[in-house]
Amino acid sequence: MTSHPRGQRTQLPPAVFALAMIAIAFFALPFIGLLWRAPWGSMLDVLGQESVRTALWLSLRTSLAATFLAFVFGVPLAWLLARVPFPGSSAVRALCTLSMVLPPVVAGVALFFSFGRRGLFGQYLDRWLGIQLPFTTWGVVVAQTFVAMPFLVITVEAALRQMDRRTEDAARTLGGSRWYVFRRVTVPTIQPALVAGGVLAWARALGEFGATITFAGNFPGTTQTMPLATYLALETDPQEALVISIVLIAVSFAVLVGLRDRWLHGARATLA
Amino acid sequence: MSLDARITVRRGDFTLDVEISADAGEVLAVLGPNGSGKSTLLSALSGLLAIDAGRICVDGVVLDDPAADVFVPPEHRPIGVVFQDHVLFAHLNARENVAFGLRARGAGKAQAHSAAMTWLERVGLERFADARPAQLSGGQAQRVALARALATDPALLLLDEPLAALDVSTRQEVRRSLREHLATFPGMRLLVTHDPVDAYALADRVAILEDGRIAQIGTIGQVTAHPRSRYVAELVGTNLVRGVVADGVLVTDTGARIAVAADPGPVFAVIRPQAITLSLSADPSSSARNTWLGVVGDVERLGDRARIGVTGDRGGIDVVAEITTASLDDLALRPGDPVHASLKATDITTYPV
Repeated sequence: MTSHPRGQRTQLPPAVFALAMIAIAFFALPFIGLLWRAPWGSMLDVLGQESVRTALWLSLRTSLAATFLAFVFGVPLAWLLARVPFPGSSAVRALCTLSMVLPPVVAGVALFFSFGRRGLFGQYLDRWLGIQLPFTTWGVVVAQTFVAMPFLVITVEAALRQMDRRTEDAARTLGGSRWYVFRRVTVPTIQPALVAGGVLAWARALGEFGATITFAGNFPGTTQTMPLATYLALETDPQEALVISIVLIAVSFAVLVGLRDRWLHGARATLA
Repeated sequence: MSLDARITVRRGDFTLDVEISADAGEVLAVLGPNGSGKSTLLSALSGLLAIDAGRICVDGVVLDDPAADVFVPPEHRPIGVVFQDHVLFAHLNARENVAFGLRARGAGKAQAHSAAMTWLERVGLERFADARPAQLSGGQAQRVALARALATDPALLLLDEPLAALDVSTRQEVRRSLREHLATFPGMRLLVTHDPVDAYALADRVAILEDGRIAQIGTIGQVTAHPRSRYVAELVGTNLVRGVVADGVLVTDTGARIAVAADPGPVFAVIRPQAITLSLSADPSSSARNTWLGVVGDVERLGDRARIGVTGDRGGIDVVAEITTASLDDLALRPGDPVHASLKATDITTYPV
């Protein structure tokens, strides 16, 4: 098979193939190790434990609340960044996505010194509004929103930049107000990006650890989310840590696989 | 119904500065190359772009007047737009696309959808009501876009290069469809194009846009016969004849007969003035299939070229021929002189009507 163009296009050099295989193994082996040690027999018992159910329920509530907040504030932010040229917009974009690349612990420290009870802004929240964020469930939501929202913002902003603006122009000339056009044309057009960005943000919020433990602490029932419970359990009850980890992996994997077929492919078809 | 617009828009180095008007039932073509300001003009008229100075008035209603601080947003203007490459909403089917304007103006779903079906029937696409834009051909999509723009019953319809994105055969189909539906549309129509054939096929008057200014405006006959500049002459200064082809002969609407290489049927024939040869005596040895005797009319010099109007005698056609001024001086043609015109059949370009 010396001159076979199709073969040349699909076959990789052996070295590249080998490196790719190592990469796959690198991602697969930790999960195999984890599943190998999983206490399959006592799985349901551990899941039935009060502490595990509490953490699971808290994680679900806070991550969904954070995703909701990310949509409420992140979509308008993406809209602004994509559509309104203003001086320093690239600096603003960098600022708004900084928490995505920051070590989460640093994000937690920053939140603590600004929104903590003695923090620069937190003291007024406490004094004027009676709102205390640190070591409360709302603190968890704030920490998760802080690190998760950028994922939604950059995804939606990219989609807004890619969409054909003339579609909105056409809708305006047909009699649609700005708000009508946003609801009936813009949102449906960028829907795949909204779903993909929302899932990324939710997954990030669900897995949040560093900022949460720094800003909100580790109190069972109020701030101890699944990742925190996993970490704690690793020292006291490794079996429990394994079970919680498997639950988190299963949920994440199911979401990724489910959305890939349904939405991410749809996104490609829409943007093509 | 009438359109009166004085428009000044400044964008960086470019300034659009035009004055146009149109009456009910009229099709005005704005013809110009890319970058001449055609799209800016349409954006200003439709309200997607605010003008810097001037006044836009449709049916006596002021839509944009910076001096009086009046600006009516696009959704409240009685103006429909057919965009280049259709710009249909990809997430809606054909019926929903056509119904969009009515829904946006507050019509109920059932009412809007039944009106949309009527429009789809008019453009012959009722079978495609449930099809998404991606499932339509380019020509079908453009017809849906036309129905979508007309469904809101605008006083002024703007057509932005409606045929430019289509391939040649589809273009003919859509051009025919446009002619048909624009003929029954009672409002004003403004067609922006860079293709003179579209202007000939669809418009009554033509405005030539050059560098943001109108270089010339008039009926197509006027502009074609008397282009005021070299630029206009090159753009539109061509001979257009309508007629019917049978057995390789085009019989024009005025009864003249011309040999052409074209399929039978009604056509537009475009004859470039440069393709016509003028001589003082008939040359029997010439390969040109068409030779006829005419009388010299206007003689216009434009730089090193001259445009000569020739009125056909006994079955000959009226044409404008373009020759060099050197040839003109050699022939010493003056208005009223007899002249022999000749034209090769292969130099005639035809477009099915």
